[in-house]
Amino acid sequence: MAGVLSALPTEARILIRMKVAILRHSMTGGKAALMVVGGVLGLGLAAGTIWLSLVRTAHPTVAADLLAAVYLMWTLGWVVGPAWGGSTPLRADHFGLLSVPRRRLAVGLLGAAFVGVTAAVTLLAFLSLLVYAARLGPASALVSVPAVVLQLVFVVLLSRVAAVAFGVVAKSRTGAAFTGVLVAGMMVLAQSGWMVVVAIQVSGVLTTGFGPGFAGTVRAVPSGWGLVAVESAAQGRWWWALGALAGLALLIVLLLLAWSRSLGTPRRARVTIRGSRALAAAGRGLFAGRTGTVLRKELRTWWRDPLRTQTVFVPLAWALGTTLLPLTFGEKLLLPWAAPALAVMAGASAVNLYGQDGTALWLTLLTGSERADVRGRQLAYLLVFGPVTVAVAVVCTAWSGLAWAWPWVLALVPALLGGGAGLAALLSVVALAPGPDAHKRPDNPLEHGDTTGQANAMFWGVLPAAVPAASVLALGSVYDNALLLWAGVPVGVATGALLAWGLGRVAIGRLRARGPELLLLMRTGRSSKPVVRIEVPKQAVRTSLIGWTLGSIALFPQGLVPLVFLLVGVDVKSWFLAMYLPGPFQLPVAAAMVMIGSWLYYVAIRAGLPKKRPAASEDPSGEDASRELESV
Amino acid sequence: MEAMRPRDAEPVAALRLTALHKAFGDTVAVDHVDLAVPQGSFFGLVGPNGAGKTTALSMAVGLLRPDGGRSQVLGVDVWADPDRAKALMGVLPDGLAMPERLTGRELLTFLGQLRGIPDDVLTERVQELLDVMELNDAERTLVVDYSTGMRKKIGLATALLHGPRLLVLDEPFEAVDPVSAAALKSILVRFVAAGGSVILSSHVMALVEQLCDTVAVMAKGRVVAAGPLDAVRGDGTLEEAFVRLVGVDVGDREGLSWLAS
Repeated sequence: MAGVLSALPTEARILIRMKVAILRHSMTGGKAALMVVGGVLGLGLAAGTIWLSLVRTAHPTVAADLLAAVYLMWTLGWVVGPAWGGSTPLRADHFGLLSVPRRRLAVGLLGAAFVGVTAAVTLLAFLSLLVYAARLGPASALVSVPAVVLQLVFVVLLSRVAAVAFGVVAKSRTGAAFTGVLVAGMMVLAQSGWMVVVAIQVSGVLTTGFGPGFAGTVRAVPSGWGLVAVESAAQGRWWWALGALAGLALLIVLLLLAWSRSLGTPRRARVTIRGSRALAAAGRGLFAGRTGTVLRKELRTWWRDPLRTQTVFVPLAWALGTTLLPLTFGEKLLLPWAAPALAVMAGASAVNLYGQDGTALWLTLLTGSERADVRGRQLAYLLVFGPVTVAVAVVCTAWSGLAWAWPWVLALVPALLGGGAGLAALLSVVALAPGPDAHKRPDNPLEHGDTTGQANAMFWGVLPAAVPAASVLALGSVYDNALLLWAGVPVGVATGALLAWGLGRVAIGRLRARGPELLLLMRTGRSSKPVVRIEVPKQAVRTSLIGWTLGSIALFPQGLVPLVFLLVGVDVKSWFLAMYLPGPFQLPVAAAMVMIGSWLYYVAIRAGLPKKRPAASEDPSGEDASRELESV
Repeated sequence: MEAMRPRDAEPVAALRLTALHKAFGDTVAVDHVDLAVPQGSFFGLVGPNGAGKTTALSMAVGLLRPDGGRSQVLGVDVWADPDRAKALMGVLPDGLAMPERLTGRELLTFLGQLRGIPDDVLTERVQELLDVMELNDAERTLVVDYSTGMRKKIGLATALLHGPRLLVLDEPFEAVDPVSAAALKSILVRFVAAGGSVILSSHVMALVEQLCDTVAVMAKGRVVAAGPLDAVRGDGTLEEAFVRLVGVDVGDREGLSWLAS
């Protein structure tokens, strides 16, 4: 390592050492486990990419076409990464006051950007180009070496420039909506990408080859230029090979220039969102009284805060994306479920209502308005997500043309919306994820506490809200009784109302009892050691992660999906184990997978639950707390 | 007010802390602090960074749960009868967020409505506060885009809005420009003259010396001196007394020899 380092410019060497030190310090507990899991998943993807370069397909260029498409996906992953995973540990503004020329700083930061699991995994994936080139001949193999290097530098640099662009965009509400859709798109691809695979299999292009449009497009974008160089070398078209490589090199230089320019801009002009001059006079009906006051405040916040904009757009794009994806193979079965999916995901996205507002909680405590605050937030949540969900329900169900779905959708939506309003309020109070206060993150309004665990708990936790209505609906379907079927709707409405009220009540009690502790958590939780630390032993973290991962695979693609396919009569094998088995074994295996998946989820949840332990008072990291309190 | 006054004693203290205690792990932030802010006094709480001023004031107003001890506002226990105690005081914490996506006027109006102030009174008060704090130019600016000084001013406005009897202000003058500071000072002086009580924490000795009639010095979680200003500072300035009490090593003789040499 030292030998390699000494060949680099001084800045790069120093910054790489800093990055390594930061990575080493952050390799603790859950974070390390996440890094390992991420690395293993990445290794799997890289292995898949290499495997693709070895496959011999019926049609000669299909493997290359797919390879180019996969390179495009890796590149997009690098572009989206910053919006998904937050900022990098080494930021240009940390070094703004150093007397180092921007371009040298840019080179140094670029060098540091290569230190990390993602870059290593990507390099491995791009080695597939070398493998593929070796199949074509020695000339191609020779060309592929610089091609791999250039391609890697290109994606890493592109990701940095994209991060700057996102930072600028994210300051407006439109930008927040945009990043929200992007994040949701990534989630849809990660969870339901197999649908695209099914679509490809159904279309039969693997044997007939892709159309020239597809093959041309994936090669025309810069992520495919390395492949173009390799292919051209095999065909003896040297000018093309050289041109493709030179093109990549030129792009890299341009990106580096663009990036180093952006490093110099000290603080980009902010998009300020303006309030209205109008008086906030007391309202009537729903808007009256103390709860009404909070409701009016909340609605203004939902409208003006980019973070809330994103909170709205992630579930919307996720629900629509997931249910519209099967249209790629002409399947409308999922369409009616867009609204219930939206209702579920809305809760998962709004699971940190108090964390998002940060230490503003002190005003609620000092005015003794805990009840009004929780109720006002719940009402605002319902007013924000309710109309959208109902609209999606009506439009998508009508579009699907599946008449039988109406009572299901109309019964499940209120149950899940109400359950979400209750559970989101409760989780916002009991499992608050502290993040930086709004006025301390002017450069990125979307920065917030990590709510992965809470969102997962919310997602699965709200599903039982649908059980009463679903039971009535199922009975109605079995007995083919329209009255019973439609009775599901009032049952759904009642469940939703009851859950929103009841769970909200628990949240109010909890906020009254633990308000000062929540405030302390938000005041001091910014440091790496949270004050109210949830102690989960490493073993439990591992068990939990493995449970979630394997459980997800067993429950969805291996369990529920083949089950639905078998029931509906879709004949797609893809990677669904049950579909490969002889007839009588198919249903039992799919059902067994559902059971195994559910059990693994249960294990994961149990392992993830914190061991009961008194909070704050005897916490070892309290030192931070006292220091922070004094300095804030 | 009679009800709050013991029959045979002096007037109840505006704020009384009794054996207030808070530890974070092994670090004792506030160590059994006793403090009385007499009614009608302008009380200054001074101390170096990390002395426990913010922790003590947070516990005093009900924003941080103490490990032990009591806090009473005009005889009302903050932790036993929070609603009544919180109505009596106005609080300006240091560095905490507000409902950030509101304009100053909206923030004050919503808070007033939460406090149950009638609409006509509220409209008038909000206008008056915005005028005094000179926040009228920023009519459409959201609090999140306020400068540090503006945040202090809107914070002080929220503390004054419901006409409290006691003001608890944590570093009220930090980052406030001299002109605004002068305006704030005159508001506070008038408030005390009208019978209100103020306790403020500060690093700035000159300011405390100029405004306050009573002071307490905190160091390492303890109150090391408290009483009328003249009694605490003795013959010298407050700063000299402070340095003596806190026992700081000024250390101006050694080190940093390379600096500007």
